[in-house]
Parts: sequence; structure tokens; C-alpha cells
Amino acid sequence: MSIVTVQLGQCGNQIGFEVFDALLSDSHSSQGLCSMRENEAYQASCKERFFSEEENGVPIARAVLVDMEPKVINQTLSKAAQSGQWKYGQHACFCQKQGSGNNWAYGYSVHGPRHEESIMNIIRKEVEKCDSFSGFFIIMSMAGGTGSGLGAFVTQNLEDQYSNSLKMNQIIWPYGTGEVIVQNYNSILTLSHLYRSSDALLLHENDAIHKICAKLMNIKQISFSDINQVLAHQLGSVFQPTYSAESSFHYRRNPLGIDRHVRPPLSGLPPLSKMSLNKDLHFNTSIANLVILRGKDVQSADVEGFKDPALYTSWLKPVNAFNVWKTQRAFSKYEKSAVLVSNSQFLVKPLDMIVGKAWNMFASKAYIHQYTKFGIEEEDFLDSFTSLEQVVASYCNL
Amino acid sequence: MGRRRQRVDPAAGARAGALPEAIAALSRSLPSGPSPEIFRRAKFDRPEATSALWQLLFRVLSPLPAGNALASLALEVQARLVKSALCSQGYPRLALAQLPEDGSQGSRELLLALSWLLARGPVPEQMLAQARVPLGDEMTVCQCEALASPGPPAPHMEAEGPVDVRHVQWLMGKLRFRWRQLVSSQQEQCALLSKIHLYTRGCHSDQSLSHLSVTEAEMLRDPEGGQQLLRTLERENQRLEAVLAWRRSELVFWRWMDTVLGTCAPEVPAAASQPTFLPWVPERGGGELDLAVRELQALEEELQEAVERRRVAWEAKAGGCGRGPEWSAARRASREAVEKELGALQQCWERDGGPAQPHGPHRLVRREDGAAGDRDLRAAVVIRTLRSQEACLEAVLRRLQGQCRQELARLVGALPGLIWIPPPGR
Repeated sequence: MSIVTVQLGQCGNQIGFEVFDALLSDSHSSQGLCSMRENEAYQASCKERFFSEEENGVPIARAVLVDMEPKVINQTLSKAAQSGQWKYGQHACFCQKQGSGNNWAYGYSVHGPRHEESIMNIIRKEVEKCDSFSGFFIIMSMAGGTGSGLGAFVTQNLEDQYSNSLKMNQIIWPYGTGEVIVQNYNSILTLSHLYRSSDALLLHENDAIHKICAKLMNIKQISFSDINQVLAHQLGSVFQPTYSAESSFHYRRNPLGIDRHVRPPLSGLPPLSKMSLNKDLHFNTSIANLVILRGKDVQSADVEGFKDPALYTSWLKPVNAFNVWKTQRAFSKYEKSAVLVSNSQFLVKPLDMIVGKAWNMFASKAYIHQYTKFGIEEEDFLDSFTSLEQVVASYCNL
Repeated sequence: MGRRRQRVDPAAGARAGALPEAIAALSRSLPSGPSPEIFRRAKFDRPEATSALWQLLFRVLSPLPAGNALASLALEVQARLVKSALCSQGYPRLALAQLPEDGSQGSRELLLALSWLLARGPVPEQMLAQARVPLGDEMTVCQCEALASPGPPAPHMEAEGPVDVRHVQWLMGKLRFRWRQLVSSQQEQCALLSKIHLYTRGCHSDQSLSHLSVTEAEMLRDPEGGQQLLRTLERENQRLEAVLAWRRSELVFWRWMDTVLGTCAPEVPAAASQPTFLPWVPERGGGELDLAVRELQALEEELQEAVERRRVAWEAKAGGCGRGPEWSAARRASREAVEKELGALQQCWERDGGPAQPHGPHRLVRREDGAAGDRDLRAAVVIRTLRSQEACLEAVLRRLQGQCRQELARLVGALPGLIWIPPPGR
């Protein structure tokens, strides 16, 4: 079951590169800690899912790169080619020379319709290459203009044209003290639109990853590259093949709310029986949790703590809400690793904060003209606020 | 029950030993048919023949092919299902409904029921069609099979107390995702089928087919599997031959059944009180069922009153109308208008359909030259028909959704102080 990745904007493209790199280098890693047959199955599954084969044997990422400026895409393409291990398809990218000026409306109402046909063509070609196509993975940020606005437009188009496929959006939550003044506007517009057209939203907060880099990894000068690599590592450990009920990865997503938050992998920790996760988990009610375990001793890992009904909302039994996926094959260099993907109230606070800030700006009509100039009216803002308030309310009432 | 007699060779019944042969043929033509001895004992209403006949009737009446969980149901459950199935088909004899379900007695009644079914339709042929081994890659075009077999009974659902609407939403979402996974699996299957058909061009000995199906390709790859397929086909052949033998010697059987019927006590013709067979209802739901029944009865009375009132009012208004040449002309005109509308509706459904879609599965064959025989269906035509049916159904769905939304808005509007925010369009 193959997944086509759509990388949007500067953020999306940089992260996309790191993700493919992480996936392939894990796939090639020699310390799998499992039998050779197991390893081969793992490699084959990973390849099928994310790469297609070309004649000379270099895997080509199943990806479409979109940006309104050429710089990042060119960098991404050349980095991939330089690695020698894999590359992007020749005709898999679309870029212009304009940029979006961090304006969601520009990305959504101008770039979107203008370039709709070309972008969807490239995507279609990529989908046709797949023998068994299972869905889209769309990487974008919320704060900028291209990733967020164009990303929302593209996702909507994918929902229209590929209504039977699953779509998951990987969204980068900007720093609280980010540089883009209108990032909160961009964020709420993105989220409310994606809420309607996407099937699952996977959220990563820059702030959280920054903390991981600083505290867990002790990096002094944290660059975007570090952040992206941590992110890619997390995503890789989610996406690599595992065994659940069947042995192929399939999207199992909660249909409601559909906001998820990927927790840092507890890599390299000794006995997994001591799952010392974020304490917040005990105070945040979850709709669904997914634990992915890789490496040594997965069969004996104790996940009973996750089955506590107190963790879950009253109308869902833990047996329906909690899933474990396991594989003995270790991920990257880690003897043992665990990832928690959680759909819970954890996102209420950050979301509420962003909505609050956006509302304050909106109340004083700051910068609105930049949006109305391109067709996003105050009505649309109000709709977005309404949607997101509903989401917050639904989660609070879990 | 006597209709079938005319079709077979009358001389066949004269030979001695013809009856056991006929019954043996019948038995071989049905899935796990009981021995002729069972039939003989059933004529004399011997108890030991009862359970075998219950099980046979269950196999015949159950809509599902053999080998699934239903086959292992307890005898009582099977018996009860048989009774309700026969009743819903209009089986006239009351005595069957009154039989105990533990298999202790009633084999003669069961034998009569079996022959009633055999007389009504080609049962052995139907069962054979259900269990046939498809050699080609097949697909059904018409929808009737999907509509006819409702599937196995759902597991008993506990619905105590109010159900959280969020749970229902969650289930709907899960269902939607499963549906999409199904669609993408089907697409994958189609892509692979297409590849197999393309790559095995020219391999088939039958020129009109030219390429192999999955089963055939698999047979080449795995000789052991091929042997197994061969054995299955041979068994199918044996059943086919049994069916033919049965058809040749049926008359003997029906003459014998007459004697069986003769040994029964004459039955009082079914009175107005037919026993009704409710399907197995969980005890807990009993209260709600009663409530539903009472509500339905109240509704029926209301409707009858309304109809009466209307009829009276119309008659008062129409007065002496309903007679005279102008009246009959007007009536004819309006009837024709209604028929035209109905016809248009039907045409909307069958537009571009060409000849009506034949029933049953069709073998998928890929042809380069596009030549099609008389009874072949072109994929393009079928697709067009299905698309227009889909469009009609979508229009109906949208209309119904609109009605639902209006109804909801009306209900909400009746509650003061409640703000109705419909979800953003999906």
C-alpha cells in the first residue's frame, strides 16, 4: 500500500527531505536485531510504501514538491541526489518565482486556482505509478503563506478528486513567539479548512521539539535542521512497517476531531515496563491512543497502563480506543523505541491560545485588509473561529 | 404440487426399484442430502428422521453458501429459522408451525415441506448455482444479489440506556474509513487483474478468451492446487449428473409423495388466525417492541380516520361527479398523465441502459479487438448505465438530505433560545 507525499512550502519540503532520508537510512540500517527474512520483509514494505524503483536501482521517493519559490526546492532536490541513496523524481516538482508573502489568502485564493491544474497533474502521475495506492501524506506548516494557504487548497482538491483515498496532513505548529505577525490568522484559517477536508491531522509543535533538542539531546545551537531531523525521526518511527492486526500499515484514524499529537519517542530507554510518559496523560482525556513499539523485547512489553478506562472518554471503551503496533525490527540505531500517537485534550491549550490571539487581532481588525484584498472576507474568518471553537468545545467535553 | 408431473417421462415410474433411485438422485443433488432410508422413515413419521430433515431444510432455505458459522447452529435455532422462513414464503400447512423444535417428532411434516419447496422452484439447480466453482474472474453487474441476501444475522447488540451520539459519530467515521479501505483494495485488485490478463495473452486454449484468469494462472503455478480444483470440479459434475438423473425420475417421487400426503390426517384449511413468527427477539427489548406495536396500531387508527374524513369531504365536494362522459374523459387524461410521469421516472433509471442488465455473474475478458458476441456486455456500456443509476441515486440522496435538514431546522426552531449551527458543508 503506497503513500504519496506532498511537500508544501519551505517547511514542508525541508521536513519531507529529512523524512525520506530517515526512512531510507533506517531501512538500510544493518542492526535490525531481527532475522534476515524479517529484515527483508521490512525493507520491501518500506520501499513499496514510500519509494518507487527505477531501472538503475536508485529508489525514487513517491513525492510531489510544491513551493512558490525555487530556492528550497532546488536545495532539497540536490541534497537528495547527493546522498546517492535515493532521489526525487525528475518531474515531481512544481515551483514558481513569486513567493506568497506569508499571506494565507494569497496562497489559497491566488496561487491555488492559478496552479491547480499543474499541481494536480503532477500528483495524478505520481498516484498512477502506485500499484496499490492507499492515501496522501501532506506536509505543511500553519504559519507561512504557501504551506498553509496553498496546502489548504490542495488538500481540498484532493478531497474532491480522490474522495475515496485517505489524507493525512502533517502540520507544523509555529513557535509561540514566531516571527510572522499574522501567523495566528494563517493558523486558524488553515486548521478550520483542513478540519473539513482532511482525514487526520498530525501536529508537531516547534516549541516542543525545540525543548527536546535542548534538554534531551543537549544541542546548544538549535537550528531548523536539528528540529527537522528530530521530527523526521519521530515520523519515521511512526511510518515504518509494523504488525498490527494485519501485517501491512493501514491508516487507522479516529474520525472525530482528528487532531493528533505525536509524542517524542522514548528511544533507548531501559525496561519499557517503566513507561514514564508525560504526566499530562493522566489529566488529559483521550479519544484514542496508538503505541508503536520497535526493537528488543516488544512481545513482553507491558502496555496495560494504557488500557485504563480513566484515560479515555466515557463513550469509548479502551479496547476500541487503544491500539498497539509492534515489530521486532529495531528502528534506526535504537535498540528499543516507542512512539505514542495520541488524540487527546493535549491540544486544547495550544489551540485555545492561538484562537485567542487571532481573535484579539481580529477584533481590532489588524492586517485584515491583506486578506480581504485576495478574497478572504471577514465572514470566512468568523466561520473559522466558529469551527475551531466547536473543536475546542468538543474536546473539552470529552 | 401436482404441476411438475407432466414434464417427465411417464414410463420411468414403472420399473421396480425406481423409487429408491429417484430419491437417491434427489439426495445426491442436494448438499449433504440424507439417505433414501431417511425419506422412507419420514413417510411413516419416525422420529429418527427428524433432525436430518430439519438440517436439510435449513440448508435449502438459508441464503448463504455452506461452510460458514451458521452451519454449526444448534438444532433448535435451525428449526426455528426454518419455520419462520417457510411461513414467510407462505407455506400453508399449520402442522409444521406447531412442531417441537428439538427434533423429536414431525419427520413426515418436514418431508411434506421439502416437497412443497421442490415443487415451487428448481431447488437442486439453485443450490448448485450457489455453490459453483468459478473458473474465470467474475463480477456481477445487477444489484439484485446484493439486495436479496441480507447477510448473517448481526450479533446481539446491547442497547441499554441512551446511546451517546458521539459514539455513533465515531462509528460512522470508522465505517467511512473501512469503506475507503475497501475501495482502495478493490482498485488494487482491479489493477492486478488487469495486469494478469495483459501478461497472459495468448495462453488460453479457448481462442475467444485468449488470456488466463487468476484461477487458471494459479493452477499453472501450483500443480497441487490444480489437482484440488480438479477434484472440486469432478464433485460438481457428479452433482450435475445427479440433478439430471433426478429430473428424469421425478415422477416416481411425486407419485410416492401423494401416498405420503394420503397418510396424513386431513387438515382444516388455514383459518384467519395464522400463527405469526416473530424472529428471535432479545427479552430485554420486549418492552420497546410492545411500545412500538402500540404506536403502530395507534398510527394505523389515526390514518384510517384521516382517510375516512377525506373520503367524506371529497364526496361532498365532488357531489354527483364521477359519472358522465366528461368525467370519464378527464379521468382517462389524468391517468395517462400519471402513467407518463411514472414512465419518465423509470426511463431516467434505465436511460442509456440499452438491453436490461442480465442477472448473475459475468466473466471478465480483456479483448484487444473490441469484438463482442451477442450475449457479451461491453464494459463501457455497463459503466455508463451504472453511472446514470448513481446520478439518479445521488439526486434522491440529496433531496432526502435536504428534507432532513429542513426537518431538523424546523425542530430546532421550535425550541426557543437554541442556536442551530449546521456543520460546515461536507
